[in-house]
Amino acid sequence: MNSSTSVPARTVLTAANLVKVYGGKTRALAGVDLALQSGESVAIMGASGSGKTTLLHALAGIIVPDGGRVSFAGPVGPVEVSALNERDRARLRRESFGFVFQQGLLVPELTALENVALPMMLAGYPRPESEAHARRWLDALGLPGLGDRRIGELSGGQAQRVAIARAQVTGASIIFADEPTGALDSQTSADVMDALLHSTVGQGHTLVVVTHDREVAARCDRTIHLRDGRVHTASGEPVPAAAAPGFEFVGEGWDRSAETNR
Amino acid sequence: MSAPTTLPTAFPAPPAAPRRRHVPIRRLTWMLARPGTQSPATLVLPAVAFGVTSALIITVIGGTSMFWRIPGQDGGIYRVLSVLALALLLVPLLGLGAAAARLSARRRDDRLASLRLLGATGADVIRITVLESTVVALVGAVGGALLSLAISPLVGLIPFLGGPIGAAELWIGIWPMLGVIAAVTALATVSSVVGLRRVVISPLGVRTRQRKAFPHWARPLIALAVIAMLGTALQGIGALQSELGLVLAIGGAFAVGLAVLGLLGPWLIAVWARLQVRRARTVPRLLAARAVLDDSGAVWRQVGGVAMTSFVAVVAGSGIGLLLAIDTSQSDDLGTLPGDIFTGIVVTLIASFLMVAVSVGVNQAAAVLDRRDITVSLDRLGMPREMIEAARARQAIAPVLLVAVTAAIIGGVLVLPLAGMTLLLSPSTLLVVFGSIALGIGLVWLAVRATTPVQRAVLAHPERA
Repeated sequence: MNSSTSVPARTVLTAANLVKVYGGKTRALAGVDLALQSGESVAIMGASGSGKTTLLHALAGIIVPDGGRVSFAGPVGPVEVSALNERDRARLRRESFGFVFQQGLLVPELTALENVALPMMLAGYPRPESEAHARRWLDALGLPGLGDRRIGELSGGQAQRVAIARAQVTGASIIFADEPTGALDSQTSADVMDALLHSTVGQGHTLVVVTHDREVAARCDRTIHLRDGRVHTASGEPVPAAAAPGFEFVGEGWDRSAETNR
Repeated sequence: MSAPTTLPTAFPAPPAAPRRRHVPIRRLTWMLARPGTQSPATLVLPAVAFGVTSALIITVIGGTSMFWRIPGQDGGIYRVLSVLALALLLVPLLGLGAAAARLSARRRDDRLASLRLLGATGADVIRITVLESTVVALVGAVGGALLSLAISPLVGLIPFLGGPIGAAELWIGIWPMLGVIAAVTALATVSSVVGLRRVVISPLGVRTRQRKAFPHWARPLIALAVIAMLGTALQGIGALQSELGLVLAIGGAFAVGLAVLGLLGPWLIAVWARLQVRRARTVPRLLAARAVLDDSGAVWRQVGGVAMTSFVAVVAGSGIGLLLAIDTSQSDDLGTLPGDIFTGIVVTLIASFLMVAVSVGVNQAAAVLDRRDITVSLDRLGMPREMIEAARARQAIAPVLLVAVTAAIIGGVLVLPLAGMTLLLSPSTLLVVFGSIALGIGLVWLAVRATTPVQRAVLAHPERA
């Protein structure tokens, strides 16, 4: 839907036969296979307890699966996410992945601008550069002039846009969103999804959304339904290409090569 | 294989309405107190905090009341000094008690809000909370009383009047001890009622952090005016004839001094934190400075106790050190008094730091539990765990360091000639004072480190966030 055919897609993340068991008996994932292409949006749906959040956490390296493997096509070569230790997985999340949570989960003491600048500072960029780039993201997402506000001073939709900016300020190639519109009304939800899709898939990045909302899922390129920890049905085809035109906010001042040098 | 379940065509109808509404408060309270998905720290931490508070209150009362039993001429000066020590310890002690009470009240908000949504009345929620907080505080306070007895032989080794004071001198009597237990329990009860008002009023209320107002610029001006008035009033202190009058005058001057610090402290901390926010170049520094700036008043309430003690320790320590050093014959005239004053200064200093350390530990534990969702989200963003920990430690320790060092420097500058001579003639005295301050800061650091397992547990069980 948001993708175009200008750049050939490549597989950025693969999961093979993922298994995750909690407490020795609750099988959250029972052998999931999945491949994510660059520039596509994928919705993961399923009933409560079907394993969708566990799948997202395993793909993102938040948890380690008990079986199977997750491989990420990193900028300097393939990385087996599931084989990394905690420190390296944290680094991978910091440098290559972005996250949007249901409630935003922004740091309440920090301003919107500081929240967005946080991942860049964690990646080692100087604060002035981080904040300058963060401000450009806030402007691009329709929040000009709100950078100095605390999170408690923003509406739910505004806070979620701040979270979207935070997820992508470092140029993450895959964005994981867990119920990003779960706490929003339908109109705000649609606006937030607009911002999320345009700023991720529109940039040639990959978006993985865990959602209960059919309308949210319908806006993604394909939908994976989980049941009892397995892929029950999948709709849509992997996207052949990425990088939709017409979204021009990540501009000068951001040197992607710097990320890999640090 | 079990047979397929057949759903009934009719479900049980609700029973007839009770003739009289009776909510089993005790049973509900017990049910809510069971270990569940929440951390057991929910109940254990407040109990420990109330226990330590009670133990320290009893020990401080025992230590100061001992001086009121000294007969003769010497007794007067010891009584004055004990009142001063008590005044110095009152602020950190109240801070610790309040921290314990807040921790106890905050922990139950979520479940009680749910209960309110299920139809419990505001009165039901208050009764459950009061009962739970009261029982937790009572258990903690009784444990604290026993702890005070257990540590009394150790505290009794502190030398006064030429020898160890002994555990027996610290015994305050059964009724005062029961009084402390009752007072600490009552403090918890009142705090829980106050803390839960918002749950009762608005169970669906979402906790948002609005920007807190920066402390008013008039604070330092008012403080200066009060200091000027206090200075004028103290010039007439020599005219007081009675010992009680003198004690009350000095105690009053201390109270005013503490009030001035209460005005100045939050403003100074806020100014410092704002500067730190602007200058922060790393994530832990930025997070810590923002957290301090977010509520400088609360930070001051937590660490302000060490300001006065550090100041007094340097000023009085310099004077007493010099007195101890210059002439043994003069010291003989004064008997054990100079040495006892010095011991008292060091004991008061360490006691105040100990209270602040426990208070910091309690507040940190509460903050870790309150902010578990934010901590988990930072971890998921890839923030290194040691960096999350560093931000937390910095947020707790930096204000203590700022307050203690600033107070010590101001004290040293005010009595610079005296401090200089003491440094030359009796360097060990100042070494003990500054060593005690360093030890105190170390205690605060240990208190923060003691809450690291709580943080680890939060990250190990992110599903509880």
